[in-house]
Amino acid sequence: MAGKLNKFETPSSASSDSDTELALELSEQVFLDDDEYATRAPASPTTVPNVRPYRPPSTGSNILKSPRARRVRTTSMSQSNKRTTAESILHADRRTIYTAGRPPWYNCTGGQEVEPFLIGICGASASGKTTVAAKIIESLNIPWVTIVSMDSFYKVLNEKQHQQAMRNEYNFDHPDAFDMELLSGVLQRLREGKKVEVPIYNYVTHSRENRTKTMYGANVIIFEGILAFYNADVVNMLDMKVFVDTDADIRLARRLRRDIVQRGRDLEGVLKQYMTYVKPAYQNYIAPCMAHADIIVPRGGENKVAIQLIVQHVHKQLQLRGFKVREKLAIAHIGQPVPDSLFVLKDTPQVQGLHTFIRNKDTPRDEFIFYSKRLMRLVIEFALSLLPYSTHSVDTPQGFSYSGRKCDVEKICGVSILRAGETMEQAVCDVCKDIRIGKILIQTNQQTDEPELYYLRLPKDIKDYRVILMDATVATGAAAIMAIRVLLDHDVPEDHISLVSLLMAEIGVHSIAYAFPKVKIVTSALDPEINEKFYVLPGIGNFGDRYFGTEPADDE
Amino acid sequence: MEFIDTDIRPWDANEVKEQFGDSLTLLPSNDNIKELQTILRDKNTTRSDFKFYADRLIRLVIEESLNKLPFTDCEVITPTGALYKGLKYGAGNCGVSIVRSGEAMEQGLRDCCRSIRIGKILVESDTDTHEAHVVYAKFPEDIARRQVLLMYPIMSTGNTVKQAVNVLTQHGVKEDRIILSNLFCTPAAVQAVVDYVPRMKILTAELHPVAPNHFGQKYFGTD
Repeated sequence: MAGKLNKFETPSSASSDSDTELALELSEQVFLDDDEYATRAPASPTTVPNVRPYRPPSTGSNILKSPRARRVRTTSMSQSNKRTTAESILHADRRTIYTAGRPPWYNCTGGQEVEPFLIGICGASASGKTTVAAKIIESLNIPWVTIVSMDSFYKVLNEKQHQQAMRNEYNFDHPDAFDMELLSGVLQRLREGKKVEVPIYNYVTHSRENRTKTMYGANVIIFEGILAFYNADVVNMLDMKVFVDTDADIRLARRLRRDIVQRGRDLEGVLKQYMTYVKPAYQNYIAPCMAHADIIVPRGGENKVAIQLIVQHVHKQLQLRGFKVREKLAIAHIGQPVPDSLFVLKDTPQVQGLHTFIRNKDTPRDEFIFYSKRLMRLVIEFALSLLPYSTHSVDTPQGFSYSGRKCDVEKICGVSILRAGETMEQAVCDVCKDIRIGKILIQTNQQTDEPELYYLRLPKDIKDYRVILMDATVATGAAAIMAIRVLLDHDVPEDHISLVSLLMAEIGVHSIAYAFPKVKIVTSALDPEINEKFYVLPGIGNFGDRYFGTEPADDE
Repeated sequence: MEFIDTDIRPWDANEVKEQFGDSLTLLPSNDNIKELQTILRDKNTTRSDFKFYADRLIRLVIEESLNKLPFTDCEVITPTGALYKGLKYGAGNCGVSIVRSGEAMEQGLRDCCRSIRIGKILVESDTDTHEAHVVYAKFPEDIARRQVLLMYPIMSTGNTVKQAVNVLTQHGVKEDRIILSNLFCTPAAVQAVVDYVPRMKILTAELHPVAPNHFGQKYFGTD
């Protein structure tokens, strides 16, 4: 892979990854499901005015994004600008696909319920691997996909190699340029459904950045790179091996176009690099990989028939493995002790009485609102008492010094998970003066019952805050886990998050505690079960509908 | 004034239990509540903060006081069709605030019980003899049949509360049906009140040798 640079760019300009950019994107973008990327238009009730058009990942095109221009690799790389790995969210065919991977669900033994399907995509530089990956994701129609790019696993260069790289004399297309050991370790963990920290490679310093990108195993994991099939350990892990075979003249044409038109390099330099490193690498290492392939896709992303075949095969495999994440979750927790990170409000007669009111299906709405607000106030006060405090002495008007307590936390903000979580905002505003409130909209997909992220507004410097994450009820915990994942992606430390809820099901608590052991889980009651519609039992019913009065008419 | 530090610390729940048995209950404390108390104690707290944090503490004290009211077991059906075994609050309660500082707690009670009846007692104490006497009292007519939540945030001698309880018993309220809701009180005041009406239940957020007597003045802004 020809990771040679003529010019230096800002540190996080690696095409493979950028968390900060993702954070910017997330906080400014509205996620809507739409048929076409290009015609993406405000269409849903959650629309806000400043929708920025989303562009699909595409080969060879270098997309500039406002307000900040996407940093551009000015020199020729052996592959296209990989939007798919930089963006954690894809939109395809009315669906939102979360490409940082599905948050982890575990069964009671701590392993993943179903082994993910790992697809390897190999092919020469500019052959269209990314396009193929994106097309597969679009057609697959499943919400959680992890994309791992080989780019992230370049070795850290020493001083001498760094100098070579600066003179374009370091061979980034050679297998030795990659940290294969780390790569196979990461893939192995992803396959087990575990959280991994994928390095972010800095193309300026040729070292890894201090921060990493967190990924989770998903239903489907796509691993792509020019030498994807080079390492035997890696090849053994792949469930399906796809080789993208595009004619050399087309690849060269694409490179020329990309490097000269978009990156402003001169013809001679590009050709020299091609002849010195890219072409020999293809002949020596990449082309022989074709022997490992299960399927060879000529002409790359344009080959609709080939992609359709791949998708059909993957679908069949997934069905055989019985993917149905939320249902699997429902029985996973039985017999597990309650996690340490769970804090349940003391069960006093008042709390029980309040629960009786809000759980009773015959409670009129005004009483439902009144009593749930009382309960919210108690839960929020309780959540505040779990923050760190230290001794603080004050002078009193009575003339003695009073040794009391003071909260160590300066900045607290609330984040509500729409719609039911919003009902708790008033309570948090009543106890914290001038508190900032962020919002996250996560909706359950009616077809798959999987949660999807639609909308996000968070305080700019949210990483400096303690976050009180609010949702009225937690059933499987899928939405809460997704919301926590989003907060972590915004650099909020895990132990700075408190998830506060009126009612939780045990199953949800276990999933959340297992995925994020440092998140404090605060609730006023813990119910043992959830039903097939993922409502808690005995439960409250649909809290949002009852609070806002939007129940289906026949329930009235 | 110099006090020895150990003499002016708040009592903990065990000490309270040992000294006063079941007559006095401490609001289960946590860091959040301690912080509220610290802010109310701090002489540098602004009035707006004082009222804000006082209201928060009052709400918590009221919620806890309500736990002392009667309730019965009941079962309800949830919207998911499941059975929930819960509790039903008993009817026939009322609040009585002792003017003026007790009125600060009325809103807290209203926020928890929307339509509860609230009576008032005005007790004035003689500045020289510290003797208290009732100048005004207005209660719901049937107060004799009700549980009474008596609201008075600061108790330093107990004289005012003793007089208020007198008025209530004169109106036919039984001693053991009175619950005193209180934010700060001194051990001396509790002792005096418990000796006087041993069967009344008292709930306080803090038992401390020095009461923050500036509470009413600062809360209502008349300091």
